[in-house]
Amino acid sequence: MAKVLVVDDAAFMRMQIKQILTANGHEVIAEAKNGREAIEKYVATKPDVVTMDITMHEMDGIEALKAIMKINKNAKVIMCTAMGQERMILDAINAGARDFIVKPFQPDRVLEAIDKITAR
Amino acid sequence: MDTDSYLSLFIDESREYLQAINDHLLLLEKNPHNPDIISEIFRSAHTLKGMAASMGFEGIASVTHSMENVFEKIRSNQLIADEMLIDTVFAVIRVLEQVLDDIAEGGEPEADFCRLSDTLDEIVRTDPGKKEASQPGQVQEEMDEYGRRVMAKAGEMGYSAYQITVRLHKDCQLKGARAYMVFAALENCGEVIQTVPPVEELEEGLFDDQFTLLFLTKAEQNQIKNLLLDISEVQEVKMEKPAVSPASGGTEKAGDNPETSGAWPVFSKNGTNTIRVQVERIDELLNLFEELIIQRGRLETIAETLKNRELDENVEDIKRTSSQMQTLLLSLRMVPVGQVFNRFPRMVRELARELEKKVDLQIYGEDTELDRLVLDEIRDLLVHMIRNSMDHGIEPPEERRKRGKAEAGTLILRAYHSGNHVFIEIEDNGAGLNREKIAGKAVEKGLLTAEEAAFLPDEEIFQWVFASGFSTADKVSDVSGRGVGLDAVKNKIESLGGHLHVTSREGEGTIFSIQLPLTLSIISSLLVKVEGHTFAIPLSSIIRTYILGPDEILRVGRMRAMDLRGQVIPLIPLSEVLELSAGDKSNEETAVVVVKKGEQLAGLMVDSFIGQREIVIKSLGRYLGEVFGFSGATILGDGRIALVLDPNAFISQ
Repeated sequence: MAKVLVVDDAAFMRMQIKQILTANGHEVIAEAKNGREAIEKYVATKPDVVTMDITMHEMDGIEALKAIMKINKNAKVIMCTAMGQERMILDAINAGARDFIVKPFQPDRVLEAIDKITAR
Repeated sequence: MDTDSYLSLFIDESREYLQAINDHLLLLEKNPHNPDIISEIFRSAHTLKGMAASMGFEGIASVTHSMENVFEKIRSNQLIADEMLIDTVFAVIRVLEQVLDDIAEGGEPEADFCRLSDTLDEIVRTDPGKKEASQPGQVQEEMDEYGRRVMAKAGEMGYSAYQITVRLHKDCQLKGARAYMVFAALENCGEVIQTVPPVEELEEGLFDDQFTLLFLTKAEQNQIKNLLLDISEVQEVKMEKPAVSPASGGTEKAGDNPETSGAWPVFSKNGTNTIRVQVERIDELLNLFEELIIQRGRLETIAETLKNRELDENVEDIKRTSSQMQTLLLSLRMVPVGQVFNRFPRMVRELARELEKKVDLQIYGEDTELDRLVLDEIRDLLVHMIRNSMDHGIEPPEERRKRGKAEAGTLILRAYHSGNHVFIEIEDNGAGLNREKIAGKAVEKGLLTAEEAAFLPDEEIFQWVFASGFSTADKVSDVSGRGVGLDAVKNKIESLGGHLHVTSREGEGTIFSIQLPLTLSIISSLLVKVEGHTFAIPLSSIIRTYILGPDEILRVGRMRAMDLRGQVIPLIPLSEVLELSAGDKSNEETAVVVVKKGEQLAGLMVDSFIGQREIVIKSLGRYLGEVFGFSGATILGDGRIALVLDPNAFISQ
């Protein structure tokens, strides 16, 4: 079971991912709707894993990722993205993201990512 | 997945995004090339697509996907947002709004989605068609001479070569990025020599579901395999040792490519045009370069004393090369201000809604480049200032109408280069600053006397808006007006070596102008001597220098002044201001450095000029903090320390 911080600017997306996670025994300990909040909540709640949307206003996911990696270089961050953002994903991986999942979320993929990242 | 419970949330958010697209289409009509608007529409369509697909509304997803494609093309300048295009997108948006209404009322979405997508796809179809995905071939056959040679060489050096075939889940999306993760993992423990299909195609995702690569490593086979299987969506990893016979066919082309034979290891023979480098490394490089500049200064000093022609020439060469290096190094850290600006349209729109004002944001010069460090620092400041302008500057629509202005206020964000500086201006055509109010407040706070308030020019009165705890807002809003802010903004900008100015006309608007140095650390300066001390004056603020005879110095009471082409400007004797003791030198010639701050000029009186030097500014450190008149210190060629004067401090006196 992993404690997860869910970051996405669409409340709808957050609920979706939350449902997938909680239905499979993981715990969503916090949610954030932009990069800035994500950093605050990361510090406050120390989650095992972060799922991070890329396109957000008020600091996007890549910047938030970088900031989090500065706070904890072993942070486990999974980027959430949709088709057409390949370049962003490459940036994110270079900046330390461990994995990425693609919208629309398939529960299997989300869980696979969480399982693999926590096993490492 | 149970999606019904999210339905209302989905509908609400989708409506917002459709509205956003609507708004930006209107803007796009006026500025068909503005990349911010295009990006914004793209982003909204993109978010919509993701949400709709998650809810199982395939129709909406496919239409928004097509819409995204259209704007991707516009963004990359392959398509122009003409009237027809915008009309078409508007029509599509209207249908989507209708569809959302249908869904909200519990009905099934009814629309001819295929036709809508087709209409949009039709627009896009001007492109020559995508590259066909390469078929994964036999790596053995396609491995070229180069690969074979590298492998043979690797064997000699104790590396093992593996031919690795990675198969991804067949419904894996973003295959390119996944392949990249495979590379990233492998690069940590060895060297990827070759791939089939080629790296470029792999990174673009142009392959079926598997790819093959040739890998050199000292790591164990199982270790590598597990590493790869640990990556999400990697279904299967096959590893085998390729049969290498260095002699096989190795002779026929051996001479083809002599320059690569010794260059091992190299990732790809088709070198890419860009590489990614960590910012820290560039910073480190720049630090080292600064040290080099200090040593160069030292060398210059030595050369001047020795007066050896060969040495002089050599020093000149070093100066030339290092200044080219400096330009190049600094350009590595430059980023376009657009990176920050592009967030503002949406912020402005939201804020306008919140404040119930109409604001038309115009952005110019987003390609202007600025040091990344500086840009990072001013991001929040800009947000603050935009909020300030929208809250206090631009009037509510009724009031604007009463004053005979267009209902929508204009907010202009402008960036441009000038000399060694970047200027960022935030201009609004709102109410402007109220001289009486500001002066009144300053007097009330005891910052000014009533007489001063009466005769000071507008310019100087307006600068009080930057004083701390100074707010003339009639009402405090959530956005701003609490009197904290502008002073903090000004302090921050000055700590970056920049300046913040305000000009305003009541009833017509206000311009805040931020002047920032292109870079923070290395500047050109004039070294001067005052009472045996050496000081550096930044060239950027120097207009010119003079040598004045005793009779050219005008005396106005106790003040001294000079005549600069018909304009009388004050003279500031540095030795007195800095309390370095001043003998009476009224009979000697005086060296004067004319400096400017905004429109104001003044002459700094010094004993002599030493010459122009590139200097590296170091901060005075925490113990000294802010010292009046100095912006830092530098190490001179002879190892002594010189203080760097901040001419602005003397002018505002």
